[in-house]
Amino acid sequence: MAYGPSKNRTESQHESREPNLIPIMNLFIVIIPMLMTIMVSVHLAMIEITLPTQSSGGGGGDDAGEQIEEVPKVLTLALLIDRFEVMVEGNEDIIKIPQLTSGKYDFMTLDQTISRLKRLHENQQTIDLLPDPNVKFDTLLRSIDICKSNDFPNIKYLTTATKYYKAK
Amino acid sequence: MNRVSSIVNRSFSSSGHEKRIRGNKTKDLNITSLIDILTILLVFMIKNISMDASQKNAPEGMLLPTTITKNELIESGQVVFVKIFTDRILYGSENIPVSSLQDFMLKHDIRQSLLRLLQMEARKIISINGKPCLLIQADKQLECRFITEFIKFSAQASFANIYFSTIHTDDKNQVLGL
Repeated sequence: MAYGPSKNRTESQHESREPNLIPIMNLFIVIIPMLMTIMVSVHLAMIEITLPTQSSGGGGGDDAGEQIEEVPKVLTLALLIDRFEVMVEGNEDIIKIPQLTSGKYDFMTLDQTISRLKRLHENQQTIDLLPDPNVKFDTLLRSIDICKSNDFPNIKYLTTATKYYKAK
Repeated sequence: MNRVSSIVNRSFSSSGHEKRIRGNKTKDLNITSLIDILTILLVFMIKNISMDASQKNAPEGMLLPTTITKNELIESGQVVFVKIFTDRILYGSENIPVSSLQDFMLKHDIRQSLLRLLQMEARKIISINGKPCLLIQADKQLECRFITEFIKFSAQASFANIYFSTIHTDDKNQVLGL
């Protein structure tokens, strides 16, 4: 005579079995701190500058100049301790951008000026940069950034020593 | 403590026997919701993670300037790091201490030894058909004369490509100081 399944057996069969999540938890506890340590929160970038070369300079005085494309004028941005100065080759007028307050440069006006110069000298890709030795590195890089963002990809870093010895 | 809790249980239940049975059942910790949170967190982190080694080299204790533009390293360029803090100079990815800034500016022998080191590094890079690049990581409060010195140095040591390390942002107003 066959007996039906016991009460305990039927109960255990009907009981829903939960998956064992402990190994997954262990895995997560290891992986998440590991990812947190290698996660990049600050994105670093690089800004390239070029060095002045010996061969730089105007190459005028040739009669066959009609066939040669117009040489773009040299633009120089000087970072002084109290202002910016922008010089265009062959132009007597120097654009001076004084500080807003003591120690606070007017980057907004510099941006507008560089943008305007780019429209006037579309062929020019380079700006010569002449920083005062006492200007902060932050000011230098902001100025480079403004030039690059206004489509002047090449920044030529001039050293003040060259100018200093010339003056002497 | 047990006695007090049992007294409380008894006082709240109409039939004390029934309550005691329920209390003896072992309750499993429900970790499903925790798993859900951790899964979302894991997916988010895997998405945001970057394996780019150059993005993890922000020096500790140095405030880098912020820029919106960025340049890529030239093809076959090999980077040599120079970290210029406001008080000291570290060389290479191993952070070899060079000297203090003042010593670097004043002492000729320190400058010469650093120059020799840079020249040696440049020659080594050129020998494997690489292009020596100098990556200057400098504090934003530093004065430009130190940077200029390093640029002159790198030119002497055949480093034609010079890069400044910055923090990248998409907000131009941050750069313009607005």
